[in-house]
Amino acid sequence: MTATAPTTPTPTPAAARAPRQGGRAGEWFLLYGLSTLGALVLSALLVEATGGDWRPVVNALLDGSLRKPGRWGETLGTAAPLLIVAVGTIISGKAGLINIGQEGQLFVGAAFATYFGFLIGGPGPLNVVLILIFGAIGGGLWAGVAALLKFWRNVPEVLSTLLLVTVGGQLVAYGLSQPWLLLAPLADRGNRNQVSTQLAEDNRLPRPEIFGNEVPLAAVIAVALAIIVSLVLARTVWGFRLRMLGRNPRAAQRSGVGQTRYGAAALMLSGAFAGLAGAAMLAGGGFSFGNYQLVPGFATNIGWTGLLVALVAREKALVAIPVAFIFAGLRTGSSFVGATGVEGRITDVIQGFLVLALLIPPAVMFLRDRRRARAAATERV
Amino acid sequence: MESGSTDPAGAVPAGAAPAVAFRNITKRFGAVTACDRVDLELHRGRIHGILGENGAGKSTLMKMLIGLVLPDEGSIRIDGESRAIHSPLAAANLGIGMVHQHFSLVDALTVWENVALGEAGRLDPGAIRNRIGEIAEQYGLVIDPDARVGELTAGLRQRVEIIKCLRRDPNIVIFDEPTSVLTPEESVQLFASLRQVVADEGRAVVLVSHKLDEVLHATDDISIMRQGQVVDRLLAAEADAPTLARGMVGREVSLRSERAALGVLSVDEANGFDDTPIAPTTGSTATSASDGRRPVLSITNASLRGSGGTPALQDLSLDLHAGEIVGVAGVEGNGQRELGDLLSSLLSLDSGSVSIDGTRVPDGRSGAMARAGIGVIPEDRHDSGIVLDMTLAENLVLVDQSAVAQRGVLDRRSLDRFARAMIDEFAIQCAGPDAPMWSLSGGNQQRVVLARELAQNPKVLIAAQPTRGLDVGAIEYMGERLEAAAEAGVAVLLISSELEEILDLSHRIVVMHSGRIVGEMTRSEVDLEQLGLLMGGAA
Amino acid sequence: MGAFFDAIIDIISSDSTYINGALFAAFLIFAASGEWVAERAGTLNISVEGMLLAGAFASAVGYDVTESMPVALLAGIVGSLVVAAVQAEMSHRLSADQFVVGLTLNILVFGLAGFLDNELEPTTKHAGRWVIPVLSDIPLVGDALFAQRWPFYLLFAVIPLTWWVVYRTRWGLEVRSVGENPQSADVSGIDVNRRRRQSIYYAGFTSGIGGWFLIFGVIGLFEDSVVGGRGFIAIAAVIFGGWTLRGTIAGCAVFAGALSFRLSVQGLGYEVNSELLQSLPFVVTLVGMALFAHRVRAPAALARPFVRGLK
Repeated sequence: MTATAPTTPTPTPAAARAPRQGGRAGEWFLLYGLSTLGALVLSALLVEATGGDWRPVVNALLDGSLRKPGRWGETLGTAAPLLIVAVGTIISGKAGLINIGQEGQLFVGAAFATYFGFLIGGPGPLNVVLILIFGAIGGGLWAGVAALLKFWRNVPEVLSTLLLVTVGGQLVAYGLSQPWLLLAPLADRGNRNQVSTQLAEDNRLPRPEIFGNEVPLAAVIAVALAIIVSLVLARTVWGFRLRMLGRNPRAAQRSGVGQTRYGAAALMLSGAFAGLAGAAMLAGGGFSFGNYQLVPGFATNIGWTGLLVALVAREKALVAIPVAFIFAGLRTGSSFVGATGVEGRITDVIQGFLVLALLIPPAVMFLRDRRRARAAATERV
Repeated sequence: MESGSTDPAGAVPAGAAPAVAFRNITKRFGAVTACDRVDLELHRGRIHGILGENGAGKSTLMKMLIGLVLPDEGSIRIDGESRAIHSPLAAANLGIGMVHQHFSLVDALTVWENVALGEAGRLDPGAIRNRIGEIAEQYGLVIDPDARVGELTAGLRQRVEIIKCLRRDPNIVIFDEPTSVLTPEESVQLFASLRQVVADEGRAVVLVSHKLDEVLHATDDISIMRQGQVVDRLLAAEADAPTLARGMVGREVSLRSERAALGVLSVDEANGFDDTPIAPTTGSTATSASDGRRPVLSITNASLRGSGGTPALQDLSLDLHAGEIVGVAGVEGNGQRELGDLLSSLLSLDSGSVSIDGTRVPDGRSGAMARAGIGVIPEDRHDSGIVLDMTLAENLVLVDQSAVAQRGVLDRRSLDRFARAMIDEFAIQCAGPDAPMWSLSGGNQQRVVLARELAQNPKVLIAAQPTRGLDVGAIEYMGERLEAAAEAGVAVLLISSELEEILDLSHRIVVMHSGRIVGEMTRSEVDLEQLGLLMGGAA
Repeated sequence: MGAFFDAIIDIISSDSTYINGALFAAFLIFAASGEWVAERAGTLNISVEGMLLAGAFASAVGYDVTESMPVALLAGIVGSLVVAAVQAEMSHRLSADQFVVGLTLNILVFGLAGFLDNELEPTTKHAGRWVIPVLSDIPLVGDALFAQRWPFYLLFAVIPLTWWVVYRTRWGLEVRSVGENPQSADVSGIDVNRRRRQSIYYAGFTSGIGGWFLIFGVIGLFEDSVVGGRGFIAIAAVIFGGWTLRGTIAGCAVFAGALSFRLSVQGLGYEVNSELLQSLPFVVTLVGMALFAHRVRAPAALARPFVRGLK
């Protein structure tokens, strides 16, 4: 009975799992449906309240993300870095670490990719691969700073990753103002003073055209990574140990899963994914990510949004694939919203409402599961 | 004592409504009925013992009285009036107080702050300090109101609990398993003040316990609960231990686990110990096993500081030989937890060393102890023993996945096969290998831990409070497993605050106090009085 | 090297360094004092950033509508409390992960403030300056502490209020207990999650004042970038300060010093790269945490959700 009930860290609600029994699938579906609807209605009300009309906004979103020529390819291209960031976040999340600095890791990764991409030079596909690798290294190192602070000085990674976003952004901006770092030679930049040299034609990720849409190779890479990570986490010893660390660090410590070794690896890996996303944005181009060159503000919230994708997908890499596409759709659609007379940033609001709403069903189910489990556990000992 | 003057048939003072009357109380948790149509009356001026094993429903019943749980059916009458008690605060307002054994004090706060916690109205430190002084004087419970609770001993902490309860001047006082962290002497002292509370002030007192002896000696009326029902009511004066034991257990069990579960032991028995029928332990060569052989586990001069900077282990040395069970006796909080954590690689030593077969094992290095062959059934399985959010099968391979993996990839099928074999061998009740760990009952979770640790073929097995919270059947099973392990050549270290468990299973007994080994004796030379003194730090 | 020391001396003897430092510190303290209360109750409340922005925006709108600064203050508090309500109810009623909720709220508020700012375009102005005689003549710090715009002086109410509430009231005692040992608090009859929610509301209350102060006491107009991550510095100040109020205020002062140093360097005409300087306060924060974070004891139940009976 409870007089001697043991103490243990409470599993976070994120631990609530997908339904196992058929009857609960219906409940989940209903809860998620209602929450999503609630978020959308709230957004519509906000549009109406500020004197707009929600119907054209919806139309514009669909046009901008799917229906107009070339738009779904664009959405795919936007989804790619979101998904890569999200998959990385899932890795650190499984290890129980809260990395919220992807925005900075992405930017630093892109800067590494730019710098080393030109330093090494070299023609063609090989250099594309190098650019991607250096992007991952850059992001990983930036997350490594947070890992160092956490495992050496016990600084909570929530805060260090967060603060490093700003620091990283400003460091790269500094780099972009220095010719010996990232700034392009005068001939290549016209009058702009914070821009890198454009990547050469053969240093870019290809975007073959299918059905009138450019399908970026980055999207294929992203989906492949999502599948691989999903398998690694579920099926390998390393993934097993990482999950153990995330769910019960003390059991992990006793079992030979060192916090420092596995935790730091997970954190740096998640940074590496963000950095890879940055490199993919750089080499993948498309007009939402600039013109194959690095500029201040290059990350354009892809890191933050990718983080949200991971949260909404509840740390499941495969679920992150459709979620990334939906969030990318909101983003590509937003550029069409302006034409309706409603401020385009409404999509940020919709996105925020959606994420908050999607937090509710698992929390509700978690509470109920727990009550049941507890009832069973306390009295059956 | 009033018991002499009461009518033995009902034990009710004529005329007065009972202080508390449970009427037909039922409480279900899911499919489990914790309390099943319980009728129970508590009277002023009397101590009412509620006896039952873990899971009998006694704690649930008391939780209803203090507002932590609401009954599904039935009513609770306080002084004849039916009341709904929705919260601990409502209970306090009705004059109901509880002395909790665990979880009720906040270490970081001072004594007076803890005493003030949970009341309503303006915070007046001066008044609270004065009241603490009054209570201290009245009951002989002296304490410094400005001491930080985290720095107090178990006995003093309980004193704070009692003051916290009495401060509100409750009419009805519940003591929940009050002696589990106390030395025998402290227990005697506690019951003296308990008697005073009752006799002098006409309060109704409930003593919830699973210790037979305690209930027999300290109470006036006894109710025995089993599987959610009150199965017997009797007067303490007319009861004897065997009757209570049979009523509580409801079936014949082996002497050992019965004794362990019931806690039939008291300081009074100390001198006549040799006459009490304890079965001799199976490892008959136990004490000679250690002679002239190199120890398997050797802890040398181990010292480390606890979380508060106070020494948790002080210069502790201990040798453990193959095939023997060494019991570590002691009152909780004297370094046992740290000893377990040290051998789980969860703590690093400030000085000293741990060796297995003469080879030093790095302390505090993740997984080092487990790799060196130390299996652990931790004191708190939720803390480092299992991962609630992984499956049963995964929990069976937490420490070592090599048997179910090839080149770093888990082989689901061999994991499944392994899990099914373990479920069969250890009779784990579950929905299958993929059942989430949190869906298992505590006893079955403990079996998973046991199965995993034994499957590693450990050289040393640490069993820390291995039967805590388990029912009689599970206790018996655990004991048999530990003995079987020792017979198979494993060196077993049994850390327990249940003296009976240690006396029943150990070949050799060491006593811990303040992070040191303060005494050692073989099973055959046990002197209970000496043991009690050592545990209390008096010898 | 001589030039370097000259510059340092210029900066530390410049009134504007202290004035800016006091402004930054005040802003951080408004945010950090409430954040401190929330953390003592067990919530690492990262939505303080969103609360500040919501408070700033709501007070700007409040002023735009009524042209009254007290009404603007109320509006700011209400705006900030709305964010607090979502954080509190979602993380301590529904037990959703507090970081996830906080992070999402920050992003949502940023989007909302940007969206509504474009739709409503509130106009604001600075509050008047109150110069306190005699005290403001103290060299160096006189102007900084006693010749500020009047919203600044609310600081001298918020700090003692926070101290009194946490250390001298029953509520404060209960808040501290739920952050240290929620199980014990629960058994003692305290509604743990309710106290945690209330402590987040307190953070919303002081952050609302902070947002309002930022608009009327410091900047004078609203943009969606006014808070710009300083809420996170407030969180860092609580950690830096070892979860004591005194330490938290000291942390705010240190970080404000770094922020103000940057402004002074440029204001006095020294050539330093602006990007690197901009990251100075964040770097100082990180270094500060690296030096002190491991030494102090956090509330034992910080960032751990409480569900009764499960522990």
